[in-house]
Amino acid sequence: MGAEEKFDVIVVGGGPAGLTAAYVMAKAGLQVVVLERGDYCGSKNMFGGIFFTNVLRELIPDFEKDAPLERVVTKRRWSLLTPDGEIGGGFKFSKFAQEPHNNSYTVLRAKFDKWFSEKVEEAGAMILTGCVVDGFLKDEKGKINGVKARMDDGDIYGDCIILADGVNSLLAKQLDMHRELAPESTIVGVKEVIEFPEEKIKDRFGLNDNEGVAYEYFGYAAKGAIGSGFIYTDKTSISVGVGGTIKSLMEHKLNPNDLLEWFKNHPAIRPLVNGGEQREYAAHLIPDGGYNRLSKLYKDNVLVVGDAAGFVNASLFHEGTNLAMMTGKIAGETVIKAKEANDFSEVMTARYEHRLRESSAMKDMKKFRHLAHVLDTTPQLFEKYPVIMEEFVRDMFTVDGESKNAKQMRLVMRLLRKENPISFALTGLKGRRVII
Amino acid sequence: MSKFTSMEDKLGLDKFTLFHQTHLKIKDGFKTGEAAKKLVNDKLFICPAKVYTLNEKDEVVVSFENCLECGTCRVAAPEAVEWEHPQGGHGIVYRLG
Repeated sequence: MGAEEKFDVIVVGGGPAGLTAAYVMAKAGLQVVVLERGDYCGSKNMFGGIFFTNVLRELIPDFEKDAPLERVVTKRRWSLLTPDGEIGGGFKFSKFAQEPHNNSYTVLRAKFDKWFSEKVEEAGAMILTGCVVDGFLKDEKGKINGVKARMDDGDIYGDCIILADGVNSLLAKQLDMHRELAPESTIVGVKEVIEFPEEKIKDRFGLNDNEGVAYEYFGYAAKGAIGSGFIYTDKTSISVGVGGTIKSLMEHKLNPNDLLEWFKNHPAIRPLVNGGEQREYAAHLIPDGGYNRLSKLYKDNVLVVGDAAGFVNASLFHEGTNLAMMTGKIAGETVIKAKEANDFSEVMTARYEHRLRESSAMKDMKKFRHLAHVLDTTPQLFEKYPVIMEEFVRDMFTVDGESKNAKQMRLVMRLLRKENPISFALTGLKGRRVII
Repeated sequence: MSKFTSMEDKLGLDKFTLFHQTHLKIKDGFKTGEAAKKLVNDKLFICPAKVYTLNEKDEVVVSFENCLECGTCRVAAPEAVEWEHPQGGHGIVYRLG
């Protein structure tokens, strides 16, 4: 790319955060280029999850017309897995099947992100795929004024750079805006997409039409390691996956694929995922460090958004893509203002953080700021307590002629012998604070 | 039981665009011997694509062509792994994601 060409903004990374930023800026008439290292946007992306579409709806109100959406999540379930059992609960609301569909869809990211990138192109941004960025360009005063892409004539100039290069964000680290990911607060997740006939999925999960489920599994879901598992229904496939913190999986000597095989064969999971045709195996990191490990969000000419900055809410709500889009939107709007003022220095980019602090994205990050630490320091939630819980509930419901009062008394006494009630209660309180 | 359970089978499901050069390197001091054994057995066994193995001479073998580019190895063993993105347009190509 010749030196004569200069963009207003370079967005590094074509995931939900980067594409959202590019979309709002292109709509406002800025010259935007998105640099995506994959063959197409989405080709490096995967998630286990629900795509929450509240921000997307603001950008593209009629996205439901042609976006590759799989199913509307009307049914959610949270379970505590034990080594061979399950204690769970959840909801199914038919109201969520109606507009606006609770802004909760299952999607397959390779298809969805690609669709979104086409919308961004239509909005006027340029998208360069197959373009990996290795570093920054600086002017004679040391001000960042572009990026170095690993290609011939790879110097690309721009007034402002939005780093949306995902969880590993080597670029934010190069600028010392982000500390290295920590093994105890970074989750490696793996998943498989298994194809089934549509009718089979509807029957197996009790679904009407385009309704879908999100089943999430805690407790012993990662074979005693700190982690969780999931099942989501797509149109004609099931996404099943499991993840754990890198530290804990190393300590438990668990390879993620072996763990996934174990999870798929758990007595509570197997009947739901058994059979079908396996279509894809994928792995990805999740930045689980929360509020306390967010990157620095801005500096002169640079803003950091989405996973690159650490915006994931790994509590029960499992939000990420919507936080990515929210940060991308606010970053994009900030840069539009900066362009109006023709000032891309910290004076202007700092507005990004100020506005984020008022947003639900940041408020939620703050609310759950203790999550990673609590999980890391409470391994009993994943190994010991699920077993105790199962014994308690199973005995309570065992039919053997013993009176309920006698049962209760016996179980409480046994529980007290196994676990100090004060530490049990404190762990419960600590756990609650990070869950809802 | 799933049809495909082994690592080889799983990776066979995926599409890769191969690049001739590795984007993953083991730093000096970890390539062979006890350090290599320790690295693979204590840490890098965690790679979801089992990219890192030991050969009979206790050298680390890096099957970079199987890499899913997740970054687990760089977080698990930053002291030993030199990690960068593969060449643009190469590596894993998720079709579903």
